[in-house]
Order: sequence, then C-alpha cells, then structure tokens
Amino acid sequence: MTRYVIRRFLGMIAVMFTVVTIVFVIVRVAPGDPAAVMLGPDATAADIATLREKLGLDRPLILQYLYFLGQLLRGDLGQSIFLNMPVLSALAERAEPTFFLTLFSILIASAIALPVGILAAYKRGSLFDQVATTLAMLAASIPSFWLGLIFIQVFAVRFSWFPVSGYGGPDASFIVRLSHLILPATTLGIVSSALITRFTRASMLDVLNDDYVRTARSKGMGEFQVVMKHAFKNALIPVLTVIGLTAALLVSGAVVTETVFSLPGVGNLVVSAVLRRDYPVIQGALLVIAALYVLINFVIDMLYLVVDPRVRY
Amino acid sequence: MLRTLRYVGAAVAALTFGSMQPAEAQQRGGAATVATIGEPNTLDPMVSAGDLLGMITQHFYETLYTFDKNWELTPLLAEKLPEVSADGKVYTIPLRQGVTFHNSQPMTAKDVVASLKRWTDLASRGKLVAGNIQAIEAIDDNTVRLTLKEPFAALTALLAFNNSAAVVMPADHMENPIKEVIGTGPYRLKERKADQYIQLVRFDGYKPREGEPNGFGGARKQYLDEIRFVPVPDANTRVEGALAGQFDYADLLPVEAYDRLRGQSKTEPLMLESFGWAMFIMNNKQGMMTKLDLRKAVQAALNAEDMLAAAFGKPEFYSVDGAMYPKSYVWRTEVGTEAYNQGDADKAAALAKKAGYDGSPIRILTSRQYEFHYKMAQVAAEYLKAAGFKVDLQVVDWATLVQRRAEPAVWDIFITHSPFLPEPALIAPLPDTYPGWWASETKNKLLTAFNTEMDQKKRIAIWADIQKLIYEEVPFYKVGDFNALTAKSPRLQGFTASPWPYFWNASLKQ
Amino acid sequence: MAVTSSPAIAGRPGLVSLVFQRKSLLIGLVVLGAITVFAVLAPLIAPYAPNRLSVVNRLQPPSGRWWFGTDEFGRDIFSRTIYAGQLSLLVGAAATLLAAAIGITLGLVAGFFRKADGIVARIIDAMMAFPDILLAISLVAALGPSLATVIVALGIVYAPRLARIVRASTLIIRELPYIEAARALGVPTWRIMLRHVLRNLVSPILVQATFIFAYAMLAEASLSFLGVGVSPEVPTWGTMIAAGRQYVGSADWMTLFPGIAIVLAVLSLQLVGDGLRDLLDPRLRKDL
Repeated sequence: MTRYVIRRFLGMIAVMFTVVTIVFVIVRVAPGDPAAVMLGPDATAADIATLREKLGLDRPLILQYLYFLGQLLRGDLGQSIFLNMPVLSALAERAEPTFFLTLFSILIASAIALPVGILAAYKRGSLFDQVATTLAMLAASIPSFWLGLIFIQVFAVRFSWFPVSGYGGPDASFIVRLSHLILPATTLGIVSSALITRFTRASMLDVLNDDYVRTARSKGMGEFQVVMKHAFKNALIPVLTVIGLTAALLVSGAVVTETVFSLPGVGNLVVSAVLRRDYPVIQGALLVIAALYVLINFVIDMLYLVVDPRVRY
Repeated sequence: MLRTLRYVGAAVAALTFGSMQPAEAQQRGGAATVATIGEPNTLDPMVSAGDLLGMITQHFYETLYTFDKNWELTPLLAEKLPEVSADGKVYTIPLRQGVTFHNSQPMTAKDVVASLKRWTDLASRGKLVAGNIQAIEAIDDNTVRLTLKEPFAALTALLAFNNSAAVVMPADHMENPIKEVIGTGPYRLKERKADQYIQLVRFDGYKPREGEPNGFGGARKQYLDEIRFVPVPDANTRVEGALAGQFDYADLLPVEAYDRLRGQSKTEPLMLESFGWAMFIMNNKQGMMTKLDLRKAVQAALNAEDMLAAAFGKPEFYSVDGAMYPKSYVWRTEVGTEAYNQGDADKAAALAKKAGYDGSPIRILTSRQYEFHYKMAQVAAEYLKAAGFKVDLQVVDWATLVQRRAEPAVWDIFITHSPFLPEPALIAPLPDTYPGWWASETKNKLLTAFNTEMDQKKRIAIWADIQKLIYEEVPFYKVGDFNALTAKSPRLQGFTASPWPYFWNASLKQ
Repeated sequence: MAVTSSPAIAGRPGLVSLVFQRKSLLIGLVVLGAITVFAVLAPLIAPYAPNRLSVVNRLQPPSGRWWFGTDEFGRDIFSRTIYAGQLSLLVGAAATLLAAAIGITLGLVAGFFRKADGIVARIIDAMMAFPDILLAISLVAALGPSLATVIVALGIVYAPRLARIVRASTLIIRELPYIEAARALGVPTWRIMLRHVLRNLVSPILVQATFIFAYAMLAEASLSFLGVGVSPEVPTWGTMIAAGRQYVGSADWMTLFPGIAIVLAVLSLQLVGDGLRDLLDPRLRKDL
C-alpha cells in the first residue's frame, strides 16, 4: 500500500509537471513576442525589453522553461497587466465566490441526483425511470448561460426573490454574500445533476443485482433498508468519485455562470482577462485550476484507501 | 484687465441638465450603489480620458475650475475666475484657502504647479497646450501664474474638464502610475476591489464652497455617507438590477429598456436629451484609410440613419444630424453636411476603385461595453460589404480598445462617442495627437486661428469652416446624435442627470 | 467524459428498457436529421436572407410574417436560426473530426509503443486536468479568435477523451492471440494498428464522438456567449443568444429560439450516442 501511495504521488507530480509544460507551450504559441503580447500595444520598447529580460526571452527556450519553473516554485505567478497586482493575489481575491459556488452547486446537484438516481434504478424500466433518464439527458443539453438568463428574469427580476447580480457590497456579511450564490448555484446544480443522476442509477443497478442484496432481500429485510443500507452504501464510492470529478469540471460551468451573474470569481476573472489581453492572469488561472484538479484526483484516490477496505493494490 | 471668458458656457444654451427635484429636506446618511459600465483600468484621471473614469474620479480629485448648470465656467479649487492679461497670454489664478487633501495636508500653490506640470506631461488634453506653455509658476502660496506663448481661448475650459483632467494632487503623491489616491474632493477612496466595487466615503475634512450647489460648481454637499461604484458590464444586467432595486443609479442603459423601467416602484427612467454623438474615427496615419478617396468611399457607403436606428431603436431616442452641434448651440451650422448619411454603395465602390482599394479588410475596432458602438459597427459592416469592402470587425473590451487605438499599425477605424462639449476646441479627434492623427495643414491653420481668436463671432465663423473641412477631409465620420437613458431609484434625491453624473448633493430617502 | 470510461458494469436490461432505448435512438436520429436538413437546406427554406438588415422592422415579435420574430437589426430570427445551424453543426462536426484525428493517433501510439506510452499518457492526463471551457478560452486567446481557431481549440480540448479510450482498448487488444499471431507473421505494426485494432474500436469511438459532438456544440455556444469565440457577426446559436441577452425581458424570442435549437441538437446527439452504444457494442452496454 505504501508503495502504491508513493507511486501514485510520483504520478501526480509528473502530471503536474506536464500541466506546467502545457501552459508554458500555450503562452509561447501565442503569435508575436510574448513580452509585447503581455504588455499590450501601449508598451514602450523599453518596457518590452525589460520584460523580455525578466522573462528571460532572449535565452534559449529550454532555459526560459527552467526559469519559468523556478518562478513557479517560488510561488510567483507573475503580475497582472490590467489589474496591476500579482496574479496570485488576484486569484486569491476571487477564490471565495468560486469555491462556494462550486460547493453549493455540488450539494444541489447531489440533492437532485441521488434520490432520483436511486429511485430510477430501483424502479428500472418504469415510467419514472424513463422520465428521469430523459430529464437527466435534457438537463445535460441545456446551456447553463441560457438557463441562468431565464432564472434571472423569473426569480430575480419578476419575483425579486434573489439578487440579480454581483456578490454584495463592501459591508455585505458572509450570509448576504452567500445569498447571491443561490441562483447561480441552482443553475449550475441543475445542469450538472445529469451526470451524477446517470451515474448513481448505473451504480445502483450494478449493486442491486449483487448477491448480498439478494441475500438481504431473501432474509426478509424491508425494501427501504435493502436499498439504502446495502445497495446504496456500496454504490456510494463510485458515485462519490463522480461527484468529486464533477466538482472539478464545474469550474468550467463556473466560468460561464459567473459571467452571467456578474460574480467576481475566478471564472469571471479569466473571461475578463481574455477580453483585456491579460495573458499572465490567463496563464496563472490555468495553472492553479489544473493543479487543483490533479490534486483533487489524487486526494480522491487516497480516500478510496481509507473508505473502502476492499481496495488493495 | 479682467476677462471672465463667460462665453465659454454662455454660448451653450442647452446641454439639457435634468431638473432638480422639488425641494424636500434631504437626509444625511446612507450608501448609494451606482452601476457603471465597467471597471476603469486606472483611477488617475490625467492618464486616461474615458467618461467612466471622469465620472468616478471627480468625486475625489478636483480641478481648479468646473462648469455650472448652464455650462459656464465657475471656480472650484480656484478662488475665482482667472485674471487674464490684455494680450491673452498671462493667466493669474488665485487659489481657495483652507483646502486640505485627504491626507490632511493643506493644498498650496506648490501642489497646483506640480499637478499642472504633470497634466501637461501626461494628459492627452494637457499635451494639447504643453507646447504653448511658457511657464507655470507659484507667485505665492495661494496664487499660480500660467504664461502662454500664444493666446489660447479654450484654456480655461480645458482646465475645467473632468476627464483627461487637470486635477490637483499633492506634490509628493503623483507618481505614474499613481500609488495612493489622494485628492481634495468631498469623497475619498476607501477601497477598490477590481471588478467588484470602488468604495468612496465622505471626506470629513472637506470644506464646501460658500453658497448653493450650481451644476458641478457651487457648494458640494455631502449627504451620502458612501458612494459605491459597481462595474456591471452587461447592460441588461444593469436594467435588471435597477428593476430589482439593487442599484440606486444605473448608467447608460439600452433605450429598449425605457418601457420596462416606466411605472416601476423601485426605479424610474431618466432621459438625457442630446447626450452626445457617435463617431467612426479613421486612421489618418497608417494603413488604407490614409487615402482620402477611401475615407470618402466609407463616408459615401455609410447610412447613418440605419446605424442610429439599430443602435437606439425608436426615433425619439436619436436624431439623424450631421452637424457637429444640435440646434440649441451657437456653434450650430449645417455647412458641409450634404456628405452625411449617403448610404450610396455605387458611389462608394467607384471611390474605392479610384483609391485603388486592394480588397484587404477594413479593420474596425469596437467594444461591446458600449452596446450601441457595436450595433453601429455591425450595420456599418453590412453597408461597407454592400459597397464591395471586406470588413474585419474586432470586438474587444473598452480598455483594450483604448490601448490598441494608440497603435496606428493595428486598426483602420474605431468607434467612439462624445458628449456635446461646451467648447469645440475640446472635441477629441480635432488635435493631431488624438488616435486617428488627423494632421492637415488646412486644419492646423483653422484650428490655430480658432484657438487664438478671442472674439466670439469670429470664432463661430471659423468653426463653420472647420466643420466643412471635417466633411471634406473625412478624418472621422459623425454618425448622429443620441439621447441617453439611465435609471435611478426613487429613493435617490437631489440628483441631477448629467453626462458625468455626480453624487455629491444627492441623498437617500431612508 | 467519465461516461464511457466508468467502471460500472451493466446489469441485464429488460425488454421494456431495450425498446425504450431503441425508441430514443429513433427519436434522436429523427430530430438530428431534421436539424441537419434544415441547416443544409437553409438557402431554400429561409424566408429571408440571414444578414438582411431591415431596421424599421426591428424587434418584431413572432408572427405569421416572422415566425420567430426579428432581432435588433430587423433580421429574421427563423432564417438566422436555421443558417446558424449550419455553422453550429459545422463547428461541432469539425471539432469532433479533429479531436478524433488527434485522439486516435495519440491513443494508438500510446497503446502500441511502450516507450511512448509514459509520455503520451501523462499528456492525456494533464490535458484532462484543464476544464474544457477554460482550456478552450485560453487556446482561442492564444491563437486569436476566429471560426477556425475555435474549431482547433475544441478539437484539442476533446482529443484526450478519445485518446484515453483508444489507448485503453489498444492495450487490451494488442495482447489478443490473433494480434500476436499477425505480429509473428511479420505484418507491419501500422497495418496491425489500422486493420485489426482500429476496426475493433469503431464502435466505442463512434459513440464517444457523438458525445464530443454534443459537448463541442455546447462549448462553442458558451465561448460565443462569453464573447471570446466566433466573431459576433457570424450567426451561430451561441452568438445569437449573446446578442439577445440585451433584450431578455423585452424581446425574449431572440434568446428563446436559438436556445431551443441548441437544446434539441445536443439532446438528439446524446440520444443517438446512447442508442448507438446499445446497438453497436453490446459489450460496452451500460445503463448510463
């Protein structure tokens, strides 16, 4: 087991390393002098020369790459051109709405998906199953921004139940800030519930046919108990995996949803950065988010070891 | 001899200010939330000329002069209007005493001199006069003297303007880029969270001028505890926020929203007539638009009426007018405007052929921050295509556009707009230095004559020649005049609609 | 995504379910076919030219004259919706083909050559770490926004998903006795790869490609909506919704109809993908 943990850890490091390399390549692929691109057309020749030197652009590519790695190891993600602040601080400033948006979306998605998925599996082939399966597919087909626009119109403008946009003013309490997330999180939750529903249903079908469930049934246990205690408990692990991975994928949805709801999160920052040609911010955001994804994956794998005693490598 | 230069504003009968509300005792306190069109890329009103920046920064940085409700010049940080020597070259400016900066330091002539020098170095409007300035000096602690090489009629208007503004900063806090925002205004910057809010709080050390508020001038009252500028780049979100009562004021809304805003409990529409005019600036320095015939081809191809209709909807929201000033202004003339609003594809094609148009795309730079720019661009693109042009529409955010337009190699046309300015010399694309770089001998001769002439009637005549020249040389294309729609909550009182809305003097009904 | 690479193993579906699955395949195919026909025959069907401006008729609600209403330039939304279908489908299809070309090549190479596998598998893992929209946005930003770069970006974004499947299957197939036999007979590797391995992979690739098609269309719409994708004057369903955003609440038809078009297209693709999975490859059947 220790060997597995070490191997898995080294694997994670290797993937991280590749992530960094890919980001390096993407930014270098951008046509033109990266320094000029980063500084924008307003930059003077002197500014560009200074940045070229700072980024080490005059040196061979491999040295540039090593330099880039060195900077990263020191936790330096560079400086935002538009915001005139370190990229890391800009990202940190916007982590809160993105984190809670993702968290709430997951909770909402699970609250929809788990019961529906379990029931659909239990009553497989029934009308409920068919409707649930189709609805799940429908939810996965709706563009989240479209749903968001409709929700704003109905629940924020017409009924005034929720704020239209933003994340509260300077003195907004934590609770007030979170209330700004209800509508976006519901939007994102519904759209991403599809995958979890389908997965829950499949995992449940899988275990419902297993021997120990049949045994439990034959022993005359109540249906509810059979489904929840025996089947669902065993289906839980693959389902949790999917929920974990969905959380990471939700960052994609957050990019769009944050923009629709004007939430000052990481996704919104990236979109603004693209429109502002703020390459250091794009680069930094890509790195941090991909690194988090790799890390979450690793943690999930490690959790397997703890949660499921059957997993042995 | 003392000249008051009153004509600067007296000439402008009506840039229609919304009327003040019925006098009701205004309450002190509260925080007003103002939805703006986006995040400014700086808080230094000298280095950038955007209306958004001017609107925000005027609350904490002040100028020596400003405009009253009739667009007449009125002193702000200056004690009174300047004394101008008989030859029109020496301006002596007495300063108000007892004015303190937000860091509690008193404002002195030393700060003003340093600020004016910074302005002539950095600000686009300041650079206009930089070459004409002989000296800026402090006579004593409370008096500044500005000496010109040649008379310049528009100087005081330039000093009064709130973007690319000659604001006064403390002499020891004027780095570029600015590190700490310290001004003299009635509100001071408390916190700026990029893309989230700019929070201003009342400056307790502020001493308003004597008397009553009068436009941007007179006493500036500090009813509100706080003003919060919230960037909401999507126009429809600003409308929705206003409808839901989330914003006390929402800037620049799409005119289609007018009907939705009427009869609402939490917001009401404000219409600002003849707010401004839209223009397509041509790149006169580099690329295909340097050819006069090609600029004329574009002029012939465009249909201003359709552009305005697409951008502003109903006819009551715009007017198809080629003159550089609406009817109520003394600068009004229709000379040259027959070249306006042609929409003649054949003529345009012939002109393009004459110019040797090679089929490379016209690069039009525009932004969606101002949705009407983008709509005009789309209509223009269709008309240009109909005349045989290729069009490359580059849609970027406003800050990027402002950066890119400075680079003559990357664009052919960009779209912008301007309010009607009290003094024609302030019109942005007139000077050589403005991106677009309209530099022609005839223009320089006329503009110099216009700027040095102190006689109002003669200036009006010269202005007509300049307008004629604009249609002959086509340095830019005027699309037409438009009204602006904004919205404010009924709670917000004592607020005066303006192209650069300000929130001192405003209060919130509790 | 995780759908096909999931570890879940199928139970035996009942008759009802099978019929239901087939029926949904049928519905999916019919809807998708109809959308494609509308898009391809747009020049014949559309009552108006998609870019024809008619500013006097701007923002007209749906009526007998304009079935889906008009937009802020007085353009006919119905005509634009079906023309936009051409580009939306084109972007989706082209991105899918590109993803398939890159993904299959990478997958085969990784599956077949042990030495390459380490690196390629790492790259695939690393690529999967980027959220799809975010990676697409960054690529478009780096390459400069245009129709072609959006296609390239989405192709790159979705390639790892196919690569992963192809690699996993190749690893299994290469150990099968008849491949070993072919090798022993001296058949060149590339031939084995194309003739034996790829043939076995047609079904899972087709199924996954259908889903990628659906995701790519959604992603294109998102990019266009955010203003970082296809140029806004090019009508796709995404750019149409982006334009209509200004008029939500006053001219809802501008966002409603292109929105429905996207939902129908993506939904039908998912139905087809699901149906294909059942039909083509019973071994891969899952109740997902």
